[in-house]
Amino acid sequence: MQNPSATPPEALAPLTRRRFLQSASALTFAIGSAGLVTVSRAGASETTQEDAGTEITAWVRIDTDDRVHLVFPSTEMGQGSSTALPLILAEELDADWDKVEIDQLDRDDRSFGNPIFGNILYTAGSTAVYGYFDSLRIAGAQARRILMRAAARSWDVPVAEVTTEPGAVLHEASARRMSFGEIAALPIDDLSVPEVTEADLKPASSFRLIGSDLPRRDIPAKSTGRETYAIDVQVPDMLFAAVLRAPVEGVSAAGIEDSESLAVPGVLRVLTLPEGIAVVAERLEAALAGKDRLQVDWTGATGVLASDSEATLSDYSAALKNPTAERAVWSETGDADRAIAAADRIVEAEYLSDYAYHAQIEPMAAVASVDPDGLGAEVWVGTQTQTWTTRTITETLGTTADRVRLHAMTMGGSFGRRTALQQEYVSDALLISKEMGRPVKLIWTREDDVKNGRLRPAAAQRLRAGLTADGALSGWEHRVATPSVIAYFNALRWEQVRPKDIVSMRGSESQFYGFADMRAEHVLTGRHARLAPWRGIGASYTSFAAEAFMDELALEARSNPIDFRMALLASNPRGQRLLKRVAEMADWSRPRDQTALGVSFAGYGDSMAAGIAEIALERESGIITVQRFWTAVDAGLIVSPDNALAQIEGGIVFGLSSSLKERITISGGEVEQSNYYDYEILRANEVPEIEIHLERSEARPTGIGEVGTPMVAAAVANAFHALTGKRLRHLPFIPDRVQAALA
Amino acid sequence: MIRLNVNDEEIETDAEPDTALLWVLREHLGLTGTKFGCGAGMCGACTVHIDGVPSFSCLTSIDSLEGAKVTTIEGLSPDGDHPLQRAWIAEQVPQCGYCQSGQIMRAAALLEENDSPERAEILDYMSPNLCRCGTYNRIVKAVQRAAREV
Ligand code: FES
Ligand code: FES
Repeated sequence: MQNPSATPPEALAPLTRRRFLQSASALTFAIGSAGLVTVSRAGASETTQEDAGTEITAWVRIDTDDRVHLVFPSTEMGQGSSTALPLILAEELDADWDKVEIDQLDRDDRSFGNPIFGNILYTAGSTAVYGYFDSLRIAGAQARRILMRAAARSWDVPVAEVTTEPGAVLHEASARRMSFGEIAALPIDDLSVPEVTEADLKPASSFRLIGSDLPRRDIPAKSTGRETYAIDVQVPDMLFAAVLRAPVEGVSAAGIEDSESLAVPGVLRVLTLPEGIAVVAERLEAALAGKDRLQVDWTGATGVLASDSEATLSDYSAALKNPTAERAVWSETGDADRAIAAADRIVEAEYLSDYAYHAQIEPMAAVASVDPDGLGAEVWVGTQTQTWTTRTITETLGTTADRVRLHAMTMGGSFGRRTALQQEYVSDALLISKEMGRPVKLIWTREDDVKNGRLRPAAAQRLRAGLTADGALSGWEHRVATPSVIAYFNALRWEQVRPKDIVSMRGSESQFYGFADMRAEHVLTGRHARLAPWRGIGASYTSFAAEAFMDELALEARSNPIDFRMALLASNPRGQRLLKRVAEMADWSRPRDQTALGVSFAGYGDSMAAGIAEIALERESGIITVQRFWTAVDAGLIVSPDNALAQIEGGIVFGLSSSLKERITISGGEVEQSNYYDYEILRANEVPEIEIHLERSEARPTGIGEVGTPMVAAAVANAFHALTGKRLRHLPFIPDRVQAALA
Repeated sequence: MIRLNVNDEEIETDAEPDTALLWVLREHLGLTGTKFGCGAGMCGACTVHIDGVPSFSCLTSIDSLEGAKVTTIEGLSPDGDHPLQRAWIAEQVPQCGYCQSGQIMRAAALLEENDSPERAEILDYMSPNLCRCGTYNRIVKAVQRAAREV
């Protein structure tokens, strides 16, 4: 990046080389998890990435023309973190937001990895704001101090007398002002990092950027077709590839008949990959046509993988009752068994949920250009983790990370899809490019994306609880039979966390209720599909079971579903406030004619949400329509309120879609669905009006990307019971199941 | 050679006559604002106007376009400042943004037919276009805002 700024007068004098280095350059800052690590000078014409030559990423760079570059360490998939994270730093730095430019981190630089995930670069679990909040604020405050110190010194006034306004340091007593860019051009001799503690940070009352509704930076390009996703990348001399992947995991091709494919004009080669057959062509349409004409004899399906989802789910259900099945306690307080045994009545119910698919609208795609020596590459791909994508590249090519030029592209949705340790759409593109000696764009069709999806696992759950004679809860047990997701999608991580699988189990800890005696237990069942995190992870089904069961208990205790929950939330006043608020929003106690309300109280991580669904039912067809949805959410301090509303609303729509429609079935190891006609997601004419109350809070931010999803299914199921007196205990609530429940 | 009129420009393409317009736009002409989502007329990410009618470019082969005018998101307005695009920004509609070119193209056709659509009319009209990020309600607001402004 060029720096066209006005050179300060003193720099025009004859310069020694040292003086030149000190003055006509940008000021750069490296950040670690505890704040700034180093401050240094860099040539203003160097880009952030080139600064890596010194092995230090300039997370913040202040150019002499006042531009402030902030590196964005997460990746953008629609959640808005690419605006929110830089904004947190800019707040404490007191930067002029209009001068801030945001640069995507494109390398596996773990000096500023996500602290929630052991400092790997990993964008998932609604953790970006929450994981980076403290370090960004401290780093911003430190950088601001350094600027103040330098300005004070050049004015020869005590640093205590200077202050800042957006983009500048002021000395009010002498009415002097220096912009950040002017300070960056000063010959600064003290580049030490000042100490800053929590107490030195801005109080929430003086925030200018945090909590205001600054527009997201990515929205203009996304409203004009100018945003570039991996699938859009074009590089000179690029070829196209389509890959026919094995229909069943672990199966290999016994015979390939490719003469018809090779006969398609423009098709160059048919290549055998580790798990598929690639057709490579000069044009995308030729690659796709060639792929359609491949005839492959797939053999070797093995027992476990050639499974049927219906049988899998009944196995999982059986495992719930099998005392010898492998189990791991996920969360435990007090003595659930004793409390339940001592209860007056015991209530028990079983819930099922099917496999689900991400259905992000951009199918998997990657562009790779492997260097002539085969040991380096430039790669353009959407990823939720620069770390594991870089690893995929180095492992595929047998090379080192310094030979990788990664472009972490904005994603057309992801929802957990692009998180895996091994990313076959990346390695396939590399292998093809290496073989062909040219850059290659690899595109999955929707059918490829569905058939080779990485699914939310199917699960069977059993809830058991005791009630005292006067209807109070006495012991809570939540057992979840589902495979470990982490063991499959990231074996390295599994070695660290085994046997605790947050992806499979989240939500079952029911942490918002102060249960005195509870146990959540993971029954680790066999894996019969390829799995991945999915929006809301475990909470998308554990909160369904827990909150549907909560209504069953309330009924048994002859209590109103809201009152019953209120009592359990006695030690959680923030939670009680949400429940009370949402009941008011929905006018809970007003009887409805043709519709009914159902409530749910769930959340994600430390973010809480109370939701109420109003549903109507077409009894003949078994179709449920959700007409209104109200929610009250507490996610701590909100960095970008308008974006938080958008994310929560999106999370609710995602939850409704999966509650009402989404279902992957597997037969003989093969996913039976293929496109949006048999894996339907919610359409515009099925979306309810959604009303959101966002609690104002100065507590730590706890994430908003997923909090909307987990509460939804139970709210719908509970409304269905209110309307019909019947329970829906198998997710999703497709018409067949609704009809069966009514029969 | 097949001649096409795209965004008021006459172009010639040597693509096979049965090639989907979507691939010609994206990979031959570099107009990547129009997206590929399903290739089956199920998602609307590929929506363009053909003689003003919102159409799935993934299901339209180029040999059917003799004499027709194709408009893509790049050609909707000279500077990306169509009232809908301004409304999309004002209402902060896009999340991942991948579906939004298609959404805007369909909404533009709706406003041509109906200059003050109700919520239910908008939702019905827009229902061929999927949005996995769940921006549907903001789309309604943005369409109504644009309708007020034109
Ligand atoms: S890509 Fe054309 S409708 Fe989906
Ligand atoms: S904004 Fe992501 S699919 Fe619509």
